Amino acid sequence: MKRLGFYLKIYRKIVIQSFKSKMSYRSDFIISMIGMILTDISELLAFYIIFLNFPSVCGWTYYEMLFLYGFSLVSLTPLQCLFDNNWHLRHYVYDGDFIKYCFRPIDIFFYYISEEFDTKGIGQFLVGMGTIIFAWNKLKLPVTFINVLAMIVALFTASLFMIGIMNFAAATCFFLTNSGYVMVTMNKFRDYAKYPVTVFSTFFKIVFTFIIPIAYIAYYPSLVVLRPDHIPVLTWIAPAYGILFFFLSYKFWMLGANKYSGTGS
Amino acid sequence: MRVRAWLALIRAAIMEFLQFRVSALVMLLGNIIYLIVIYNLWKAIYASVDGGVVNGMSFNDTMIYLVLASAQFTFMEAYLVWEMGRAVQSGKIVLDLLKPIPYEQYLLFGMEGGNIAAFVVTFIPTFIIVQIITKGAIPMGINLVYYLIAATLGMLINFTIDFMVGTICLYTQSIWGINIMKEVVVLFMSGATVPLAFFPETLKKIVMFFPFHSIYNTPLMFLTNSSLTTKDSLLMILEQLLWVIGLFIIGKIFWKISERTITVNGG
Repeated sequence: MKRLGFYLKIYRKIVIQSFKSKMSYRSDFIISMIGMILTDISELLAFYIIFLNFPSVCGWTYYEMLFLYGFSLVSLTPLQCLFDNNWHLRHYVYDGDFIKYCFRPIDIFFYYISEEFDTKGIGQFLVGMGTIIFAWNKLKLPVTFINVLAMIVALFTASLFMIGIMNFAAATCFFLTNSGYVMVTMNKFRDYAKYPVTVFSTFFKIVFTFIIPIAYIAYYPSLVVLRPDHIPVLTWIAPAYGILFFFLSYKFWMLGANKYSGTGS
Repeated sequence: MRVRAWLALIRAAIMEFLQFRVSALVMLLGNIIYLIVIYNLWKAIYASVDGGVVNGMSFNDTMIYLVLASAQFTFMEAYLVWEMGRAVQSGKIVLDLLKPIPYEQYLLFGMEGGNIAAFVVTFIPTFIIVQIITKGAIPMGINLVYYLIAATLGMLINFTIDFMVGTICLYTQSIWGINIMKEVVVLFMSGATVPLAFFPETLKKIVMFFPFHSIYNTPLMFLTNSSLTTKDSLLMILEQLLWVIGLFIIGKIFWKISERTITVNGG
């Protein structure tokens, strides 16, 4: 417990520094925020246009799909805000700058990841929350203490999966050179998280549930609120699975980091 | 004309592309996965309507349209905004400006080689796979010639827009944000996200006033719409040509004005 407090204290200090350096480029901060929100709005427009032409997708109505999309936006926010430094990992490793992280008496993964707080994610969070609340209202889902609590737990669990996937993808740079494409390809998968996994064929259902678990970013956890009468086992195991998946990705990341021997410069 | 310089730039870019063979392969693989996902998704969407044709688009048409739009994106998108932005930030732009060739030509032909290589490595295989999956639904004839012309012009329009947006980076120092905004606007208004045929009438009219639909929608029309007459086809290509010329002139003037604001610290 004392250790956790210690880490939180360090984290606060590092994040404040990162925030200050971000704010010195104010126009970039504002433009990036608008860009992020525009991206999400164009997706919403795409849903709107599709549902103008088609009544439902695999038995899912317009507002249910909006709910899923909003859910995926919010559950991807922690990845965007807190774990964005993974994108630069391969450059640090390649140039040899990564060695500086190995000489601190704190966890390498923690120190590396905490160095960047990406403010763009805030815009995404706001759009996602707005979409969820709008859809929640339209679907007339009950607002009870249990429901809201379930929703919060579901969002937390869901966020662990994409973070895990990106940890795995980023850590490949310890083993391969020029591994940027692994991250880009894995990152593309998040675009498929906003659809119910039932639309895919059996093979992809298995892949998206167990191997690249993007179905857990929105579909399985959101069933708790959307389909409270038929919650499948796969949803119940989500919290444990999420923690395990994140832990494995952390171990894989650390395996690479411990193997790292610098560039000699 | 500087044909020799152009050819040299194209050659260099193709060789650079070939250095990263694995990433080209992964690009193709990503496209195939996208193809399968899109296939499943739209199959599910089309399952909810009777008759199978919506706004003149059948399931096959939509599939071909979206998958080829994505394949077209991989060979057209050259991350020019990033390149210009980075060149300004690192100061490399000074060296680029010293080259005995106008900056926009240097960029265009430097990117062209990568485009050609990506076209061969990712677009053609995707095209063949789509043709097999849909059992030959893409009409094969004179429209392929039109497609090549329209795709080249579409790429040029994309280039001029990128060039203008890249010039904006000289003022804002923000690359990521500017680039993502451009990408969203271009992909949405060009019909690469949702086919333009599904847009509501008013929105469609608005979109038609902008050059973006000429980038993706016009070339793809030649592959999905078999009922185009020669007159229609030529008119569509003429419209593209006018956009290329107009945008190129505006971009060039904008660049000439902005060029003076470049400041590079140190050396």
